Amino acid sequence: MAIWADTVALSRMQFALTAIFHMLWPVLTTGMAIYLVVVEGLWLRTKNPDYYRHARFWSKLYVLNFGIGVASGLPMEFQFGTNWAPFSEAVGDFFGSILGFEGAMAFMLEAGFLGIMLFGWGRVHPVIHYFSTIMVAFGANLSTFWILVANSWLQTPAGGELVNGKFIVDDYFQAILNPFMFISVSHMFFATLETSLFVIGGISAWYILNHRHPEFFARSLKIAVAVAIAVTPLQIYIGHLSAEQVAHYQPTKLAAMEAKWETSPAGQPADWSLVALPNNKLERNDWEISIPNGLGYILEFKKNLSEPVLGLKEWQPDDRPEMVGLVYYSFRIMSGIGFFLAGLMGVSVIQWLRGKFAPEAIAHQKWLLRTWLLAAPLGYIAVESGWIVRCVGRQPWVVYGQIRTAEGVSNLPASEVLTSLLVFAAVYTTLFICALFFGSRIIRQGPNLELPVPGIENQPAVETEPAKFIPDQRPIEAQQ
Amino acid sequence: MENLEHFLTQVWFVILALFLFLYVMLDGFDLGVGILSLTSSDEERRSILMTSLGNVWDANETWLVLMGGALFGAFPLAYGTILNALYIPIFGMIFGLIFRAVAFEFREHSTNKVFWNLAFGVGSFTAALFQGFALGSVLEGIAVDEAGHFVGSIWDWLDWRSLLVALTLIQGYVLIGSTYLILKTDGELQNTHYRTAKLAAITTLIGAVLITIVTPVVYENARAKLFHQPEVYIFALIPALGIVLVGLLLRSLNRKAEVTPLIWTILLFLLTFVGLGLVVFPYIIPPDITIYQAAAAPSALVFMIIFIGFLIPIMLFYNIYNYIVFRGKVSGVHYTE
Repeated sequence: MAIWADTVALSRMQFALTAIFHMLWPVLTTGMAIYLVVVEGLWLRTKNPDYYRHARFWSKLYVLNFGIGVASGLPMEFQFGTNWAPFSEAVGDFFGSILGFEGAMAFMLEAGFLGIMLFGWGRVHPVIHYFSTIMVAFGANLSTFWILVANSWLQTPAGGELVNGKFIVDDYFQAILNPFMFISVSHMFFATLETSLFVIGGISAWYILNHRHPEFFARSLKIAVAVAIAVTPLQIYIGHLSAEQVAHYQPTKLAAMEAKWETSPAGQPADWSLVALPNNKLERNDWEISIPNGLGYILEFKKNLSEPVLGLKEWQPDDRPEMVGLVYYSFRIMSGIGFFLAGLMGVSVIQWLRGKFAPEAIAHQKWLLRTWLLAAPLGYIAVESGWIVRCVGRQPWVVYGQIRTAEGVSNLPASEVLTSLLVFAAVYTTLFICALFFGSRIIRQGPNLELPVPGIENQPAVETEPAKFIPDQRPIEAQQ
Repeated sequence: MENLEHFLTQVWFVILALFLFLYVMLDGFDLGVGILSLTSSDEERRSILMTSLGNVWDANETWLVLMGGALFGAFPLAYGTILNALYIPIFGMIFGLIFRAVAFEFREHSTNKVFWNLAFGVGSFTAALFQGFALGSVLEGIAVDEAGHFVGSIWDWLDWRSLLVALTLIQGYVLIGSTYLILKTDGELQNTHYRTAKLAAITTLIGAVLITIVTPVVYENARAKLFHQPEVYIFALIPALGIVLVGLLLRSLNRKAEVTPLIWTILLFLLTFVGLGLVVFPYIIPPDITIYQAAAAPSALVFMIIFIGFLIPIMLFYNIYNYIVFRGKVSGVHYTE
C-alpha cells in the first residue's frame, strides 16, 4: 500500500513527528530547572550578584523553551484519542490514569509556580521565590517520572492482563513499578540533566570565546563541568543497565539494535558489529565491520555468553521491527555521544585541575571551548536517537507482546491524517526556525549585568495601584 | 457494589465537570483577551493585554491538559470516541492554541510584531471557534455503534446548530475577557472594555436564547427530558436566572463597577454550565453511551481518586495564590526586566 493511503503508517509518522519535536523543549527545561535551583541557591547563600544574574539570564531561555514545550505537548496528549482511539480504550484504565497524574501532580505544579518564578522577583519574599523555583523544577522532573512510568509500562506491561481486548489492571503499584520503570526514569532524568549541562556549558564557552564577560560565564561553565563529573559516567552505566533489561525483556529490540539476524548460542563468544548495512529483505547485513568476540564483553563483561542472544530470524517477519537500520544506527549514535560527552568532561576536569579555568587563562583554551560549543546540540541528538531505539525498536507492538500498533489505530480516512500530518510538519518547521532565531537573539543580547539585585525589602518590578485608585484620565501615551 | 460503582462514576463525572468548568472560565478570559487584542488600536494596548496574561496563561491552559488526562483515565471509551469523532475541531483548536502560546514569547523578542500579534489574536479566535464546534457537536450527539465506537463521518461536527454554539461561546469568551480587563486595566483602555463587555453581554444573551429555543425544538431526546415533570421547573428556572444575571451585569457595567462585572459573568458561566450538565447527564457520549458504560474499572477510578482527588484543593490553593501575588492593575511596563 502506498504510504499516503495507509492510515497506520501516517498516524505513526504523525505521532513520531509530534514526539520528536515536543521532546526538544522539555528535555532542556527539565534539566535547566535544576540548574536554576542551583544558581538561585548559590545566590541566596553567597549573596554574589553574578549568581542572581545567571538565574535571570538562563530563565529567559528557559521560558522560550517552556512555551514551545507546552504548545507542542497538547497534540501529544490529544493524539491518543484522535488517532489511537482503540488503543486508548484498551489501556485507558492504567495509561490514561498516569497521564492524568502527570497533569495533576507535575505539569500543574510547574505551570502554577512558573509565573512567580519568572515575574515574581520583588513581588514575593526571596524564600517564597526560591520555593517557587524548586516547585517548578520538582514539577518538571515529576513529569519525567510519570511519562516514563507510562512509557515503560507499554514496554513491559505488568500488574494485570488483557481480557477481551481491554487491559484489566488488578495491581496498580505493580503496574507502576513495572520492570523497566526505575532504570528508564533514571536514564531520562540524567539525559535531561546532561543535555542541559552541555547546552549551558556550550553557550558559556561561546561567550568566553567571543571575549564577552569571560569571568561571568566561567562560573556557569564550571558549574556544568562540576555536575557533569557525576552525570556523564553515571549515564553510561545506567544506559548499560538499560541495555541489559532490553536483552532480557525485549529480545527483538536487542536484535534490531545489534542488527543481529542469526542466534548466538550460550557458552560461546560472539562478534559485536560496529558498522553494518542491514538488509531487511534478504535478512542479513550486506556489509559489516565487527569486533571479534565483542558481544560477550559488552553484555556481560566476559568472552563467552552465558545466555543465548537471539537473532531476528527467530521470529516471524510480522513479529519483529521492520526498520532495523534505523534502530541500529540510532543506538550507535546515542551511545557514541554518551562516551564523547564523558570524554569531554574528563578533559575539562584535567584542564581545570591544571589551573586552566582561572579567569586569566580560560579564554586561551580555544580548542576546549570550541569542543564545548560543538557538544551543545549533541545531547538533543542522543535523546532523540534513544527514543527512536526505544519506540521504533518495540514495533510492531504498541503494548509489547500484547497489542499490535496496527490494532490500536483509529478508523480515519488516510487523507485526513495526511492533511493533519502536513500541517504539523509545516507548523513545527516554522516554530523550530523561529525558536532558533529568537533563541540566538537572546544569546547575542547576552545577560544584563547592570540588573539591580533585589534585597529583602524591594520595590515591585511592576507598577501596581491599589484597587481604589482613581483612573488616570490622560491619554494612554501621556500616562507612561 | 453496584451502588458504589455508580457513585464512583458520578464522582468522576463531577470532577471532570469541575476541571472543564475551571478551564472554560480561566482559559475563557484568556482566549477572550486574545480575541479582543485583534481590535486593539496600538502596540501599547496590545502589550498591556498580553502582559495581563503573562503569568497565568499556561496555568490556565493546564486545566485542559488535566481534563484530557482525567477523561482518558476515568472514561477511556468516551476519550477515544469523542476525540476520534472530533478529529478536525480538536486539531483546529490545538493549532490555534499552539500559535497563541508561542506568540507570548516570540512577540516579546520580535522586532516586527505584526505577525505574532495576529498569531495571538487569530490563534485565540480559532481555538475558541473549534472549542465551540466541539461543544456543539457533543451536545448534538455523536454517531456510535453498540460498542460505543464512532461510526459517523468526519464532517459530522459541522452544521448550523454547532455553528450557533461556537459563535455564542466566542461571545461568552469575549464577555469574560472584557470583564477581566475591566478589573486589570484603567483609563481609556478600561473604558473601551466597558463597551466591549456591554456589547458581548447582549450578543451572548441572544445566542443563549436561540440555543435555549432550538434545543427542545430540534432534539427529541432533549425535549423529553426538558419537559419531564418535575425537572421542567429546574430547566425553566435556569434561563430565568440567566436573564436576572445579565440584568445585574449590565447594571454593574453602567455603574462602572470594577469587580462585580467579572463576578456576574462567572456566575453566568456557572449557571450555563450547570444547565448543560443537567441536559447531558447521565450521558457522556450523547445520545447513546452513559457515564456508567464508558467508565474505567472501579479499581482505576479509586486509584485515580487517591492520586488526583487530594490534589484538587492544593492545585486550587496555589493557583489562587498566583492570582493574589499578581493582583492589581497592569501598566505598560513589561514584567521581564
